Amino acid sequence: MSEVVIYTSPSCPWCTKLKDYLDEKGVGYQEIDVSEDYNAAMKMVDLTGQRSVPVLMKGEQYVIGYNPEQIDRILQ
Amino acid sequence: MEIYDLIIIGAGPAGMTAGVFAVRKGLKTIIVSKDVGGQVNWTTDIENYMGFEEIDGQALMDKFEEQLEQHHLAEKQAGVKVLRREEDLFVVETDQAEQLKSRAVIICSGKKPKTLNVPGEKEFRNKGVSYCSTCDGPLFRDVPVAIVGGGNSAVKAALDLANYASEIHLISLTDLTADAILAERIKAIAQLKAYLKHSVIEIKGTKNVESVVVETADTKKRFELPVQGVFIEIGLDPNTDFVDETVERNEQHEIKIDCYCRTSVPGLFAAGDVSSVPEKQIIIAAGEGAKAAIKAWEYLVNKYPNECLVNS
Repeated sequence: MSEVVIYTSPSCPWCTKLKDYLDEKGVGYQEIDVSEDYNAAMKMVDLTGQRSVPVLMKGEQYVIGYNPEQIDRILQ
Repeated sequence: MEIYDLIIIGAGPAGMTAGVFAVRKGLKTIIVSKDVGGQVNWTTDIENYMGFEEIDGQALMDKFEEQLEQHHLAEKQAGVKVLRREEDLFVVETDQAEQLKSRAVIICSGKKPKTLNVPGEKEFRNKGVSYCSTCDGPLFRDVPVAIVGGGNSAVKAALDLANYASEIHLISLTDLTADAILAERIKAIAQLKAYLKHSVIEIKGTKNVESVVVETADTKKRFELPVQGVFIEIGLDPNTDFVDETVERNEQHEIKIDCYCRTSVPGLFAAGDVSSVPEKQIIIAAGEGAKAAIKAWEYLVNKYPNECLVNS
C-alpha cells in the first residue's frame, strides 16, 4: 500500500490539480473519495482538525489544500 | 529584454479566447496566469455555454486550453504583482521576480470570492467555513449547514449540499437573485429553509463551527442557528490588486471599459469579469476576450505600423 494517502471529492478542482501534480512527479498514492468513504473522511477530519479537501497525508504529516511547496517538503 | 506586442493577464475564458484571437492576428503574445480556467474551474454543470448542452467547468476549460495550445502561444505560469507604465511600454512584474514588457496589455484576471468579514470567519476557515460546496460538501453528511448568499452560486451550493446535509439554512441579505430556473429547483429540497432579508453577523464555535448568529434586516432581531458548516457564496471581487490608480474603476472596483474593451489608459484593455462589462457569464467573457484582442490588434496596427508582428 502506498505511504501517501490523499483525500479528495469528485468535483473538487484542487483535488484534480493535486492528482495531476503527483502523477507528473511519478508519486504513487492511495486515494480516498470522501463522498464514498465517510468513515475514513471523518478519521481524516479528527486527525487534521480540518473539514476541507484535498488533504495529502504521509505518516503523521499532512498538507491541507493544493500547496506544491508544502507537498514537496513532505515528499522529500 | 524581449518586447511583446501583447501581454494577456489571466487564463480564464476571456484570457484564453483573447490569446487565440491575438495569435491568429499575428501578434507576438504572452499569456501570464497563475492558473488555467479561473473561476470556471469551480463551476459544475454548465448548461448555458452554446455548443454543449451540459458540461463541467473544468472540462470546458480543458477544451479552451487544448485550443489555445494549438496556437503555440507563449505562456508564463505566475501571478502578477505589478502592472506599470515605463515610457511607451507596459511592464508586468510577476510573483517570480520576473519582468515582461509589451506594447499593449489585456487584463482578464477575473474575480475571487468575497469574504463575509464577520467574527469567526477567519478562525474557522476549513474548520466548517468553506467557499467551495462542490469540494467540501461530502464532509457535511447528516449535519446542519448554513449557506450565506442568494445568487446563483448560493443556490447551486444548496443543490450540492442537498445530497449530504441534514438541514440547509439559506441566509440572504436580499430576496433570491438567482436565475429563475435555479431558484425553482431549490423548492424541491425538503431540508432547506430560506431566511431572506437576513444576515449572518457571527460564526461561533470552539474547535470547529457550532453555530451562526443571524440578524433580521428590518427589526435587527438576532437568533442563533446550530450548524457545523457555513458556505459563503456572496459574490466576487475583481482581481485588480496589481493595477495602480491611473486605471479607472467603477463602484464595484471593476476596471471601467468602453464597448471596445478600452480602459482609461491607452493600450490597456480589459475583458471578462474583471471589467465593467454588464453580466458576468462564461460566454460573455469569451466574447469580450475576442473583442479585446481584435481592438488591441487595431490599436497596435495604428500606433506601431512598422514594429508589430502584425499580418505576419
